[in-house]
Amino acid sequence: MSTWNLTGAPRSFSGARSRAQREAQGELPWERAGASAGDGGEGADGALSVSQAVALAAGALDALPTLTVIGEVTGFRGPNARSGHCYFQIKDDASAVDCIIWRGVYSKRTFDLRDGMQLQLTGNFNLYKATGRMSFVAKSFALAGEGMLRQQVAALAEKLRREGLMDAARKRPIPAFCTRVAVVTSLSGAVIDDVKRTLRRRNPLVELICVGSKVQGEGAPEELIEALARAAAIEPAPDCILLVRGGGSFEDLMTFNDERLARAVAACPVPVVTGIGHEPDNSICDMVGDRRCSTPTAAAESVAPAIGDLEDLLASREQRLAAATSHTVRSASARIDGWAQRIRSAMSTRLDRAAVELEAAARRPCLTSPRAIIEGRRMELAQTAERFAASTSSFDARRHMLDMAHERLTHGGAAITASRATGLAAQAAALDALSPLKVLARGYAIAYGPHGVATSVADAAPGDELRVRLADGDILGTVASVEPVAGA
Amino acid sequence: MTERKPVEELTYKEASQELELTIRALESGEMELEESLESYTRGVELLKSLRARLADAEQKVSVLLKDADGGDVLEPAAAADTSDDLKI
Repeated sequence: MSTWNLTGAPRSFSGARSRAQREAQGELPWERAGASAGDGGEGADGALSVSQAVALAAGALDALPTLTVIGEVTGFRGPNARSGHCYFQIKDDASAVDCIIWRGVYSKRTFDLRDGMQLQLTGNFNLYKATGRMSFVAKSFALAGEGMLRQQVAALAEKLRREGLMDAARKRPIPAFCTRVAVVTSLSGAVIDDVKRTLRRRNPLVELICVGSKVQGEGAPEELIEALARAAAIEPAPDCILLVRGGGSFEDLMTFNDERLARAVAACPVPVVTGIGHEPDNSICDMVGDRRCSTPTAAAESVAPAIGDLEDLLASREQRLAAATSHTVRSASARIDGWAQRIRSAMSTRLDRAAVELEAAARRPCLTSPRAIIEGRRMELAQTAERFAASTSSFDARRHMLDMAHERLTHGGAAITASRATGLAAQAAALDALSPLKVLARGYAIAYGPHGVATSVADAAPGDELRVRLADGDILGTVASVEPVAGA
Repeated sequence: MTERKPVEELTYKEASQELELTIRALESGEMELEESLESYTRGVELLKSLRARLADAEQKVSVLLKDADGGDVLEPAAAADTSDDLKI
């Protein structure tokens, strides 16, 4: 295919025509027709064959410049299963025309086509000679009008999403009970009153600071960006900023799809709660804010609990407070009861043991019958005495025997000596009678020589000491001579 | 036990948080009896004050305006009208 100027400005057919087409189709039909008129024509009555007529028409269409057409998609059934080309129609209120998007073109699309879409298509008319059907062959297409805006918004949303501006991790928590809230919106609309009324009814403890800004039209994004900055700079800082706007057309709400405003919302140092438009509306500011609410009223309600809930919370806390305290007191009291029980049982165990010991002591015989001990001792003593007595009972008999023996001994002894004394006296008398002393008395003497009693003259020699015993003494002398007695 | 601010000097939020913490401490059951009775007394005070504030709450609204020098000032503004009268 040749390239085409996309301005769509009408130009002369010859200028729009390509050499390739001229070569493919030969001379333009009407030129030929004009020529033939001069020549006298081909047919007898100047009639054309169908092919000629169709070729003429096709040539005329081909001669049209590249066109940009806006129309609504209808009869779209997706790409042809076999060829991948798309066949559908585009229409407006009065007309419709077949439309073809070749597979190669459709594969480069950024969105899927469906019925009802407003499309801006750029391409050329073409006549299919076999059927004579005319189609618009689109070489490129894009969403038109609101569709185009939505497409741009979607592209911006995707871009910011890729940058991570919509990550759940980025979203800051909004305090469950914001007591200081800045509201960025138009101060002249009904929205600011809605927010005030909603919060007055729901929770008058929430302090509201209204920061006015244009919310639609020229310059609105810039004003909103400034208002956000001013709201965030309030001292002390608000707990959150409500960025709200009432419902409106898609174009009205386009302010909140502004890239700079979206970035300002994402970068705002104070968490931002959005409530833009009505339920189904969703703007990029909603997506990059910290909390998205479907309406301004819902946004206002989301920043603080209802006063009734606070009352309920206080009631439940009152109960918890009482329950916790009485539990503490009860458990302290139970502990004391436990101790008392333990003290009692410990004491009674101790006392019981002491009582048992005491009873055991009391049962001992020394205490129960002290007399019995004395009796016992007495009996023991008696037994001992008895045994002692028994052990000495033989003594009397022995004494008697001894006495008897003594007597007998005395008698016996006397008898023995008496008889012997008699004998002895007789013997003494006899002895006395026989005593040499008596002989001496009668004049006899006993001579003792050196060798004793001299019984012979031989026992003494002259010069020998000689002792002569007389009855009353001794005479000492020396032997002067020995004179034996003749005849002896 | 740390010195406590008088209840009337606390903001609603501070009082509410202190009440919750007080109750949690009591619920933990780890307090001395004397301490828990003290906490209970404080909790009752907080509750009373919070209730009173809920009952008497009046909406406070201000508007952030630029003054002559271009600086931002907070101007008190009317609270929301809650009358049910139909405005025509």
